[in-house]
Amino acid sequence: MRLQFILGEIGSGLRRNLSMVVSVILVTFVSLTFVGAAGMLQLQINQMKGYWYDKVQVAIFLCGEGSTAAGCASGTATPEQQDNLRTLLESPAVSQYINDFQFESKEDAYKHFKEQFSNSPIVDSVTPDQLPASFRINMKDPEKYQIISETFSSQPGVETVIDQRQVLERLFSVMNAASLVAVIIAGVMTVCAILLIATTIRLSAFSRRRETGIMRLVGASKTVIQLPFILEGVIAAVIGAALASGTLWAVAHFFLGEYMSKQYPDTAFISPAQTLLIAPALVGLGVVLAGTSSLLTLRRYLRV
Amino acid sequence: MIRFENVTKVYDQTTRPALDSVTLEIDRGEFAFLVGASGSGKSTFLRLVLKEDRATSGAVYVAGQNVANISSWRVPRLRRGIGVVFQDFRLLPQKNVFANVAFAMQVIGKSRSVIRDTVPEVLKTVGLEGKEKRMPHELSGGEQQRVAIARAVVNRPGILLADEPTGNLDPTTSMGIMGVLDKINQNGTTVVMATHDDDIVNEMRKRVVELKNGVVIRDEARALYTSMIPVVGQSRRLKDASGRDDAGVTPAGPMPGQSPDSDAAARSGESRL
Repeated sequence: MRLQFILGEIGSGLRRNLSMVVSVILVTFVSLTFVGAAGMLQLQINQMKGYWYDKVQVAIFLCGEGSTAAGCASGTATPEQQDNLRTLLESPAVSQYINDFQFESKEDAYKHFKEQFSNSPIVDSVTPDQLPASFRINMKDPEKYQIISETFSSQPGVETVIDQRQVLERLFSVMNAASLVAVIIAGVMTVCAILLIATTIRLSAFSRRRETGIMRLVGASKTVIQLPFILEGVIAAVIGAALASGTLWAVAHFFLGEYMSKQYPDTAFISPAQTLLIAPALVGLGVVLAGTSSLLTLRRYLRV
Repeated sequence: MIRFENVTKVYDQTTRPALDSVTLEIDRGEFAFLVGASGSGKSTFLRLVLKEDRATSGAVYVAGQNVANISSWRVPRLRRGIGVVFQDFRLLPQKNVFANVAFAMQVIGKSRSVIRDTVPEVLKTVGLEGKEKRMPHELSGGEQQRVAIARAVVNRPGILLADEPTGNLDPTTSMGIMGVLDKINQNGTTVVMATHDDDIVNEMRKRVVELKNGVVIRDEARALYTSMIPVVGQSRRLKDASGRDDAGVTPAGPMPGQSPDSDAAARSGESRL
């Protein structure tokens, strides 16, 4: 009975304050979209880092089928060539610059590739044979990349030596800057949302002061009096959060999934399903936002 | 049922108290009028009973419980035991008569079937049978006040506080309202009514507690609006609208010892209920 009563109160409150409620929905929608966009950029960065990025700095790719580099005249790198390279890595001349290294076989490479490109159709057309084996090297000082490169580039069986950081770092710094901007905009919009929710609750409490006055007098509990107002704000914020989540999903599905992944097939993009991981966080954030701001407002404007 | 022990209420330190060490007991089932000029402390008295305000000093007991010891989350329970009626009715304009009365039951979580049974019964008590579907604006003032009374007593409170319930009504209608309040009192509810209406007080012949500048100056059973014991300067005081008096002697009670004109200050405590 009481629940039904509270629901009825919420309904009438939402109807009476419709324009304000719509504006709360839109503001939380925009602010949470920016929060979510920052989250998506970080997810995308993680996706692009793949298995090795945080563990090693330099990769020595060995020759595979169809390699055209100078050192690959004899075709796929032989086990002897691999052993030579391993010995060289362990020799004092080289090992003084590196912390450790790992060998990634074709099978390992395939496994990691499948993980990184799990969202992409490309994964079905790749076989372990097409992927090169590699040595992954964790440098003591990443700036010394040049030494490794000079030592190994000309070794037989080596296709190429790559400083992963150099390739991706610039892109990542752009993406990090973008997510910082998104977070700043989200912050401003969130302040906006908090103030708007506070104003809405205040108006709502004012327009229903007769009811709340009577409720007080006949001994309605604090919960029964306050809950409809709080839930009004929370419901608006949840709708905003749902819209934001929907927008992020649409971006991941249509823009990244349909467009970008065709333009850049060799880049791993996040899947739409991954954006749904952000959704609960956005809803939670919206609820906390609306709940606290309406609670604080009610404390000032609704005597119980 | 209601007991005040040396209760003093000060709203503003710079002025005289709204209630000044009032000691008073109203028994269960009693009907008491609270009379006195504006600013005499009637509304403050009612506010303290409802725990809308804290007494500055002294103790207020309601149904045997010191209200100062009631924690804030238990205040609703205290208020469920007290019905309140106002001069301005305070009905919800967009709800009909039934819904207005039912509202008081809904908000404390009464089941729908209980509401369906109880509300018509209460409306019958206040003489509004068959008007369940009317909207407040379709009712006369007296009928609106009856709805307000029905709402105040629908949860069967032990105490009914009425703050000038006949203030907006003509004498005939007022007598009708008094009949309703008397009936509720007969059913065992303690009724405390603050009023200016001398005709009603004289007609009812109930207990009269007269407040003046926050002090009880008269407390008589089966009394009239003005004391039957002649008071020097009383008639002049009543005529003088500014409320100034020359501190005449009132044998019925201790005379307030404060400055004669502090009405404006006392009014700060008015109309907050």
